[in-house]
Amino acid sequence: MAAWGERLAGVRGVLLDISGVLYDSGEGGGKVIAGSVEAVARLKRSGLKVRFCTNESQKSRRLLVGELRHLGFDVSESEVTAPPPATCRILKERGLRPHLLVHDDVRSEFDEIDTSNPNCVVIADAGEGFSYQNMNEAFQVLMGLENPVLMSLGMGRYYKVTSGLMLDVGGYTKALEYACGIQAEVVGKPSPEFFKSALWEMGVEARQAIMIGDDIVGDVGGAQRCGMRALQVRTGKFRPSDEHHPEVKADGHVDNLAEAVDLLLQHADK
Amino acid sequence: MAARRALKAVLVDLNGTLHIEDAAVPGAQEALKRLRGTSVMVRFVTNTTKESKKDLLERLKKLEFDISEDEIFTSLTAARNLVEQKQVRPMLLVDDRALPDFKGIQTSDPNAVVIGLAPEHFHYQMLNQAFRLLLDGAPLIAIHKARYYKRKDGLALGPGPFVTALEYATDTKATVVGKPEKTFFLEALRGTGCDPEEAVMIGDDCRDDVGGAQNVGMLGILVKTGKYRATDEEKINPPPYLTCESFPHAVDHILQHLL
Repeated sequence: MAAWGERLAGVRGVLLDISGVLYDSGEGGGKVIAGSVEAVARLKRSGLKVRFCTNESQKSRRLLVGELRHLGFDVSESEVTAPPPATCRILKERGLRPHLLVHDDVRSEFDEIDTSNPNCVVIADAGEGFSYQNMNEAFQVLMGLENPVLMSLGMGRYYKVTSGLMLDVGGYTKALEYACGIQAEVVGKPSPEFFKSALWEMGVEARQAIMIGDDIVGDVGGAQRCGMRALQVRTGKFRPSDEHHPEVKADGHVDNLAEAVDLLLQHADK
Repeated sequence: MAARRALKAVLVDLNGTLHIEDAAVPGAQEALKRLRGTSVMVRFVTNTTKESKKDLLERLKKLEFDISEDEIFTSLTAARNLVEQKQVRPMLLVDDRALPDFKGIQTSDPNAVVIGLAPEHFHYQMLNQAFRLLLDGAPLIAIHKARYYKRKDGLALGPGPFVTALEYATDTKATVVGKPEKTFFLEALRGTGCDPEEAVMIGDDCRDDVGGAQNVGMLGILVKTGKYRATDEEKINPPPYLTCESFPHAVDHILQHLL
């Protein structure tokens, strides 16, 4: 593989995944990944543009940013690109009234959305909310619609919390797709529209941007398909087999965000 | 097609073929007796995820069918056989009523997952536990992959969606053991010592009973009882070896033409 200098040349903006890169979420507000608080601070001081690009759909941005700030991160809500606001925009544009299969902690993001007499289903990482009964209700809503629309906030397979790996929304979306014979619309990584809106909000073109994430398919593959470069960290949900993934090849692997920032500060935009 | 040999075994579906819920198909008990008067071996095969063999047998006895427990082969039996072959200790995501069919199987410190229709187990914690086992390399064995089923209060999710969820999350494929899988029919025949070319299957489900059996080289007879709907016989290619009114007619045909 080419030297880091070549791989990172011309980078002007950095998209950071949150869960598994900055911290592992979990009981009691989660746990910082060593070195990440300083790494974010150094990145922000460097003059490179920084934006947070997450598929977090279990909590509102307010709760998420509150958790991160409590852990010492310098981050504000306006710096975070997350699926719920993007979903709300789409719902309003298309006059859709969702049945929400979501966690209570994210419901406030949908406060302004009409949910009466639903004509679509929005599914997000509902955690314990993924009960048989709740899944069945969403299924029955979809089966009752002439043109069933299922909108999924991300399509992640699993993520890591302090107590171990957890099923993400993707499997549950697949379950409803299979049951109803339909295909969901995905809002969030790895959908190109989602990366593009994060780039637009950061004000950097794809070829000048790099994504740093722990998900080889959702973060790395998705960003690369948009013309960005992407690094995978060996933290969070990273598994050694990711380095030999049959379809996705990262532009580089780093042990953690701190190492990624070291390399970026050394080589980017030169 | 493989050369047909003298008929030695007959596989018979239960619900929809011998009986419909709690009523016997008219003349079915008599027909079964006639079949038993010949030299062929009879096995009863069914896709069930809830009813243990004991439950099935009780119902059949009530309807005055002359059947013994070791002649019944169900998708639960198939799952159990696979668990024994692989020598694994399964986490059993099955209805409590199905548990007797797994009696004696080691389930502590599980290293496999068996999944049937078990709404009471399909909550996040339980599925997450299964997910973690699969990610560590445990095999996933699905009794079947039905999308949904009909309940009194409307349609309800079957096991298929939850199998699909686990497959997606772990990037693996489940081994499905029920009809119409080839291994189901081969396993059902195993105890008889017969080859598929020496066997015939009688059932009311064109795809799962007849198509599945014919795919392994058996003859398939479709009966127009149970879930049969007009033109079902056109659903598979090659078509059923025979389509007839009901189980007694199928037995008549066997006695006259296949023995």
